Amino acid sequence: MGHVSRMLAQFATDEALFRASGKLECSPVADGLIIPAIKVALDGLQQRQRVIADNVANINTPGFQARTLDFENALTSAVATDPNASIDTLSGSVTSGFTTDPSRQDGNNVSLEKETLNGTETNLRFSMALRAIDGRFATMRDVLKGS
Amino acid sequence: MFDIFGISGSGVALSQTWMDAVSDNIANINTVKRTSESAFQARYVEAAPIDASGANPSGVAVTGIALGSANGLVVSDPNNPLADANGMVRRPDIDLGDQMTQLMMAQRGYQANLAVVQRATDAYTAALQLGKA
Repeated sequence: MGHVSRMLAQFATDEALFRASGKLECSPVADGLIIPAIKVALDGLQQRQRVIADNVANINTPGFQARTLDFENALTSAVATDPNASIDTLSGSVTSGFTTDPSRQDGNNVSLEKETLNGTETNLRFSMALRAIDGRFATMRDVLKGS
Repeated sequence: MFDIFGISGSGVALSQTWMDAVSDNIANINTVKRTSESAFQARYVEAAPIDASGANPSGVAVTGIALGSANGLVVSDPNNPLADANGMVRRPDIDLGDQMTQLMMAQRGYQANLAVVQRATDAYTAALQLGKA
């Protein structure tokens, strides 16, 4: 069970949790970094969904430049450098920026297909992270039952 | 937490305003006025991002309505009861092709925003199932 949730956790935040899990003992009660890292990932994914919604809302606004949000890379290094990092430290990983795509004639560079793909991927990662955290909870329930 | 709905809602509202303006323009495409009056003026919706800096993405807002030419097109229509002594009337200067293109853009914008709402709903529904198994 712990193994499965760890595997899912790895998917959830890509490399971040992949590296983190290497340093963690499989202890279902003392969760170490997994739950904080997944929480930060869920938060980052939700903020990305928000950025995507904003880009789509402004798809016809002249001069609007599409925005991006990144946390995976920073979360990876934050997790890798300090295996005992607090959730506050980890949540500093979220940074926003602008896409560098060429603009249309009206100065807008939102690409609907890109935003849709990005949104779908974000949703899948979100479900994956949810499932990972759910797996941790299931493990804890099993332990409490003592079965 | 649920601000995606607000953001996409602002996009839907903008598309709705835009479609309203376009349909009004198209409805009035044959509105004829006397040459002594100003022509029917087409409405053009102006929009801008609510947060231009991008620090706190919050959607789009209608910033104003621009009006088309008040001069319109003065054309000869001697049989029209509104025609002046020279047989001229004033018609609005609206390009139907342009209006139809705008209508399509507004409609696609509407759909795209609703697709985002659907996706957010899926994500939140999944989150609500957390710990239930």
